[in-house]
This record gives sequence, structure tokens and C-alpha cells, in this order.
Amino acid sequence: MSSIIISTDFSPVSQTIAQRTAEALGYEYLGPEYLAEVAKEHEIPEEKLAKALDPNASLWAISPKKRCLYLAYIQASVFKRFLGDNLVCQGLAAHLYVREISHVLTVRVLADTKLSVNQIAADKNVTPKKARKILECRERRRRRWAEKNFGVNEFDPSLYDMVISLSQIETSKAVEVIKDMVGYRKFQPMTYSIKCVKDKALACTVRAVLGPRFPRIEVQARDGTVVIKPNTLKGGKRQQAEALKEMTYQIPGVEYVEVHPHKNFVRKSNNSQS
Amino acid sequence: MSKMLEVLILDDEPIVGKRLKPALAKIGCEVEVFEDPQAAWQRLDQKEFDIVVTDIRMEEIDGMQILEHVQEKYPRTKVIMITGYAMMNLAREAMDKGAFDFISKPFKPDDLRLVIAKAAKALGASISLETANENEA
Repeated sequence: MSSIIISTDFSPVSQTIAQRTAEALGYEYLGPEYLAEVAKEHEIPEEKLAKALDPNASLWAISPKKRCLYLAYIQASVFKRFLGDNLVCQGLAAHLYVREISHVLTVRVLADTKLSVNQIAADKNVTPKKARKILECRERRRRRWAEKNFGVNEFDPSLYDMVISLSQIETSKAVEVIKDMVGYRKFQPMTYSIKCVKDKALACTVRAVLGPRFPRIEVQARDGTVVIKPNTLKGGKRQQAEALKEMTYQIPGVEYVEVHPHKNFVRKSNNSQS
Repeated sequence: MSKMLEVLILDDEPIVGKRLKPALAKIGCEVEVFEDPQAAWQRLDQKEFDIVVTDIRMEEIDGMQILEHVQEKYPRTKVIMITGYAMMNLAREAMDKGAFDFISKPFKPDDLRLVIAKAAKALGASISLETANENEA
């Protein structure tokens, strides 16, 4: 059966819809509480993972390197859950990395801006004008965070299979519409889509395992073959590449590994001129 | 004695049929292989198959047209799409049009045998995959 990812520009809204959709369909709900399990798996405090997902967390709160590593942990764990069926996922930024999987229905819920502004104004005890500026600032930060960490414009509607505006459609109706949509044949699992999830799950697992020692790497996986592209390999390139391979071969599901370091053409050119 | 599953394989790459025919014969399928989509179309007009395995990208007639033709003529027939150019939108389109499954190339014969077994079950028939393993051991 299918899975569903629900995202929004205002998080309390998506949680309600995700939980109600899961209940209506008899699916499992996977929300921000899952970070506790991810934290336990990787033996790090849960709040650090929450900071990695928080676009408002400053550089003092979390360095780019750590954010990259913790996001890799979250992705690896979330993808493992997507190997199962009948999941409604929300609050783990899954819409930014669980992509191009045909049996995953991605839904963007647009909160009623007026209600969002009023809620911020009430929470922070500010005027609606100030609340609106806070909302706009959050949106800018969120956009930058998604682009920087996932290379994706989160606010591009073409990223989603369905966009629902809560200023026009009530929450209960939105749940009904999602429930109907997920029943379409095109959102049912097939051999190809299940394989896509397995390949991406393996790639994410490899990234998470290698992350502490090799923070900047791209990983692709297909049928147990893993291709790793590290950004830089300092010191002895061959030894580093061998170390990468050795670590990767320990990971279950990995059958063959290739390492292709990025070529630094600028450095190469400078070296040849000196 | 249960009826053998009748399977049509259509792929313009000769190697595909050459590999898949014996692989499916091992699990008790009666297989006809075509490289020319026109010829396959004519054969489909003559006979109802239980399962059709078709490539998508072919000259003149593509796999989607074969899928639509089979679905219209024989709604019971399970159509399995195979392609070296798998993408999410193509997969969704195939499923929307009634494909039973969608497999990306390259794949092992075992992968297809599993899907054929699923299709057989959906048709109310059964296939023993153990027979293939014994034959190959």
C-alpha cells in the first residue's frame, strides 16, 4: 500500500491533518516524536536532531557540519520506515528527501494566512503586523534552509502531487480528499518504486555511517552497488578511498563499492602553473 | 493437470527474449517472444494471453499502446511493463493505465519470476518458484 507525506508552511496544521488522515486510513503515523528513536539509534541528544530540522537554529546552536550529519541520520532512519507500507509522515522534512517514489503521495497544505498570523500574534503577544513580518521571516529562513540542505525549493508547488489550501477547504474535507487520492492505482507500490525506496534507503544509510568521518560525500546506490563521491580526500587519496570502501562494505546490503573523488580542477590548474 | 500460464514477451532487444523465455519456461510458462511490436499486436488480436511482458520504448508502437490495447481487448490479462528508462511519471502513467507491475532494467530473471508468480496468483493460478531453483541448482 501507499505512503503519504504531508508538509505545510505552518506546522500545527500539518500535524492535525496527518494524524487524522492516518486514523481515517488505518495507517501508521510517523511524526516529530520519531526523533527520539533516531536519537537513541545514533546515541545523540534528541534536541540536536530537532535543531538540525529547525531553520531558525543559529550557527552557534548547530554548525553546518553537524547539521549535515544529523540530517543524514534522520534521512537514513526515516527511509528505513518507508520500506514498510501504509505510512503517513509529517514533521520530519521527508518531502524534501523522499522524492521521486511513485507510491508516496506528497501533499502540501497551505495554512490560512490570517489564522497563522493571529496564532503567532497570540503566542508572541505582538500586533498582527509584527506577526506577519515574523511569518515572512520564517518563510525566508525555511526557503534558504531547504535549498542549502536539500537543493530544493520547498515552496515550488510542482514538488507536490497535491496542494490544498485551508483557506478554501476545511480540514475534514482535506483529509477526505487525501484519503480518496491515495486510493488511485498510480499511487500503488510496484516493483520499480519499492526498489527505488530500497536503493535510496541504502544510500542514506551509507551516508549516515560514513558521515562522522567523511562529512561531505554524495552517495548513490542501486541493487547493492554503491558509488561514493567524496568532496575532498585529504592526505593519502588512495588510503582514504580504501578506508571509505572498507567501512562501506561492512554495511548490510552493500555488495560492491566504487569511490570517485571530486576532481579539484582549480587546485590542479594552480599546481601545474607553479 | 493445471493449465500452463501463457505469456507473451515483447522487447525489441533480442537478448531480452532469449534470456527470459527459458527463465519463464522453467516455472511452467508457455512463452511466445516477439521483437517486432506490429507482429506482437497481430498475435494479440488472435489470442488472449494470461500475461504480457512488454518493453516501453520501441519504434512504431510503444509499450503504452500495447498496454492500452490489451486492457481494452482482454481486461483479465496482466500486463507487466519493463523499461531501461524508468522514471516516476512513466511508472505512474503505466499503473494508471492498468499495468499490473512496472520493472526497471536491468533486472534478474528471478525478479521477473517473482512478479509472474504474483500475477499468476492474481489470476487464480499458481506457480512453483522452487521448480526453477531446482532446475538451476
